[in-house]
Amino acid sequence: MRRWLDRAFLVGTGGCAVLALTVLLGILAAVVWRGAGAVSWEFLTDGMRQVGASGGIFYNVIGTGILLATALLVSAPLAVGLALTLGVYVRNSRRRNRLVMMLYLLNGVPSILIGLFGFVIFGVLLGWGKSWLAGGILLGFMILPTVAVALFERIQALPANTTEAAAGLGLSESQIIWSVILPQSLSGWLSGSLLGLARAAGETAPIMFTATIFAGATWPQGIRESPVLSLPYHIFVLAQDSFDPAASVRVWGAALILLFLVFSLSLLALPLRLRLHEESRHD
Amino acid sequence: MLNCNLLEPDEKIVRKLRSVEYPPVAHPGAKVSVVDDPVSINFPLPTRAGNWSWTRLVSLGFTALAGLFLLAMIGVFLWESLPVWRQFGFDYILGTKWFFRQHEFGILPMIYGTVMVSALAILLAVPLGVGAAVFTAEILPSRWRGLVKVAVELLAGVPSVVYGLLGILFLRDWIYRLLTPFDPLSGDTLLTAGILLAVMVLPTIITLSDDAIRGVPVLQRHAARGLGLTRFETVTGLIFPQAWRGIFASILLALGRAMGETVAVFLVIGRRDNVLPENWYSLRPLLEAGQTLTSKLGGSETFIARADPLHWAAIVGLGLVLMGLVVGITWGGAWLMGREEGPDAPVA
Amino acid sequence: MIKKLPHPVPPTAAPAAPEFLEIRNLSVQAGSRAILQDISLSVAAHQVFGVVGPSGAGKSTLLRALNRLLDLQTGFRVSGSVILHGEDIYRKDVDADQLRTRIGMLFQQPVIFPLSIHANVLFGIRHHRRLRRSDAAELVEKMLRRVTLWEELKDRLHSSARQLSLGQQQRLCLARTLAVDPEILLMDEPTSALDARSTEAIEALMLDLKRTRTIILVTHDLAQARRVTDWLACLCPENGEGRLLESACCDAFFSSSACQKVFDRLDGGS
Repeated sequence: MRRWLDRAFLVGTGGCAVLALTVLLGILAAVVWRGAGAVSWEFLTDGMRQVGASGGIFYNVIGTGILLATALLVSAPLAVGLALTLGVYVRNSRRRNRLVMMLYLLNGVPSILIGLFGFVIFGVLLGWGKSWLAGGILLGFMILPTVAVALFERIQALPANTTEAAAGLGLSESQIIWSVILPQSLSGWLSGSLLGLARAAGETAPIMFTATIFAGATWPQGIRESPVLSLPYHIFVLAQDSFDPAASVRVWGAALILLFLVFSLSLLALPLRLRLHEESRHD
Repeated sequence: MLNCNLLEPDEKIVRKLRSVEYPPVAHPGAKVSVVDDPVSINFPLPTRAGNWSWTRLVSLGFTALAGLFLLAMIGVFLWESLPVWRQFGFDYILGTKWFFRQHEFGILPMIYGTVMVSALAILLAVPLGVGAAVFTAEILPSRWRGLVKVAVELLAGVPSVVYGLLGILFLRDWIYRLLTPFDPLSGDTLLTAGILLAVMVLPTIITLSDDAIRGVPVLQRHAARGLGLTRFETVTGLIFPQAWRGIFASILLALGRAMGETVAVFLVIGRRDNVLPENWYSLRPLLEAGQTLTSKLGGSETFIARADPLHWAAIVGLGLVLMGLVVGITWGGAWLMGREEGPDAPVA
Repeated sequence: MIKKLPHPVPPTAAPAAPEFLEIRNLSVQAGSRAILQDISLSVAAHQVFGVVGPSGAGKSTLLRALNRLLDLQTGFRVSGSVILHGEDIYRKDVDADQLRTRIGMLFQQPVIFPLSIHANVLFGIRHHRRLRRSDAAELVEKMLRRVTLWEELKDRLHSSARQLSLGQQQRLCLARTLAVDPEILLMDEPTSALDARSTEAIEALMLDLKRTRTIILVTHDLAQARRVTDWLACLCPENGEGRLLESACCDAFFSSSACQKVFDRLDGGS
């Protein structure tokens, strides 16, 4: 009986794992299979034409790039400030836990609500219309918890004797931060940012009301009323209302490119994260 | 305390120190004493005014800004939705009809949609995900485990719009064919959205449950196996009692994500207003098109509503209700996780 | 070679200023637990002052209280006073960071920053003083010569300091501390992680350095204490709190009956 149960347990959980992986890998395979045909040099370097039925996704890639770069620039100083507050300035553990809880909540806020909030602030109150800057700022706040927590964890994993040694040399708190803590926790910031950007790259909801349109934008001109194209919104619109087979092939191509972008960002973060895990295990 | 007068050189000590044998230091050519300036002594002790720096000021300021962002979000949603609360009060939440031209705003069908779709997703994803996590954490050799984990974490990052695209071009048709005996109007149903969401949250559940299970020390496993327990008994008797908190937290996290998911749900749910079951236990609406809080928010009505203050308030009110639901769930999940691991439980 | 070790001034005959460093009724609490209880000690200048005792006696805590490193850790409460040149370093308006430039510290494990050897030597001082490039190079050479590393390292000053052996790392740390020019050096079991050869090098450096500085050395190695210290204090844990058992000059110390139990424990342990 016991052995039978154990067998069943093995088979059951193994089955779950196989099924889960099959579904997930099947998704990948489907995107690659449908999209590979559409991807070509011309697809990547040409603007969209005929409502997605011909031409390429050049300006969508550019627009997503602009949004991501802005998000990175917005999140970096904020994340450093948060991580330092958590890792250095706030010594009281209850207060620190409260701050971490705030980050959890921010991380859990559905992206559509960030979009709605941005629409109220930038679109309604400031009257910006759709703007790449608004989208970048919103995405920056969206990835802030990921970046800040990654950096904070790295700071916490720093061996205490490093900061002690620096303090023993008479360095002030700020000097220790800038010459010991931040340089040595750079990898945490980098991996957090890459993971955050991987998530931001695929987000549609925060930017659909605030930053991005389907057609008719190239490089941004100014800030107000200067939307950009983007990959996820492009796919979102085409998926809804295109029954043109040519456009259908191209939307899979765009999905493949987006997937490639997202995976590249997370894979870049991977070695950094693995190293961090190994180091923390040694402590 | 023994009395030793320091002012008198103690011959014994001097002799002793001189007689200490010091073999040559590491490099034979090196001389020990080369240069040594007298110590510069500066009296009195250095003093300072306060305990502030630009770094501290800016860091705390940025932290406040992040907190402000969250508070402002809740504040703005409250303020902007105020008219609808004034006019309808709780009937806004309990109302079953949404006709914005007639100024009827009841969001119960959307709450129903959100709850049904996410519950379905969790119901489907949890057994599969936790089962797979037990397999990767307990049975899979560690070399393979790393690989599977990387793959699963990559898949957790697949954008929701890609899932939506897959849903719209594959899943929708499969569901339509599957449901033919029930005579559905289309493949856009709550069921479709639930299945799609289940697939989407699967990687989150697998990877966080796997972490929770691996969190139980290896030695305990060895001890249990050493007592003759089978793998099954080790997992049910030893691992689950310790890891359930982390597993449950992963489920709550997944639930929060499912409730807030917009784009994928939007594409496959059909977006039909005012769908409620005839009686509370009827599952028939699962096989029909419906609406969730997020699919309503993501639609074009959000733009249209700007023209009409009450309509706009009703739309923003959806955001407030969703925020309440998700914040509650995230709070619960983080609280569970925090109790287990302290402040550095995983985010994202 | 060995006989040439300079002892221009017999150590115990150093100009002893009794008020040089006075520890008065120093107690350290961690939460509700006392780590150190009512320690009073007087350290004369130009000595190697040894602190011995079994683990858990609060030796490291005492050392960290002397340059206010304890301030950086949460949960410690220090009472009593530490008087340096007649001034209490725990006075409210004392700049603890600046204080640590005058009371340097060498740790049990060498702490190397992930930088070049050159940058490691300059790590502290470059935050306190603006150095011209030529001055910096000169300082690095001087400090590395001071710790007898120059000949070994002069050709690879700009390679990573992490490749050095532990013994070299510890001497590099000493050079880094000396570059800041402290008048007191706190050493927390600086040789316990090192091999015999590197230990000898560090000990020789201690004896040499006390001509110009004062060294407070925490050690659990009685033989080492015998070799290098002029004056010794013994801490012993009683009910979990460290108390001072004895403070005496070296010879008297080792014949003291109060500490015999501690000696037995330490000898047995090593």
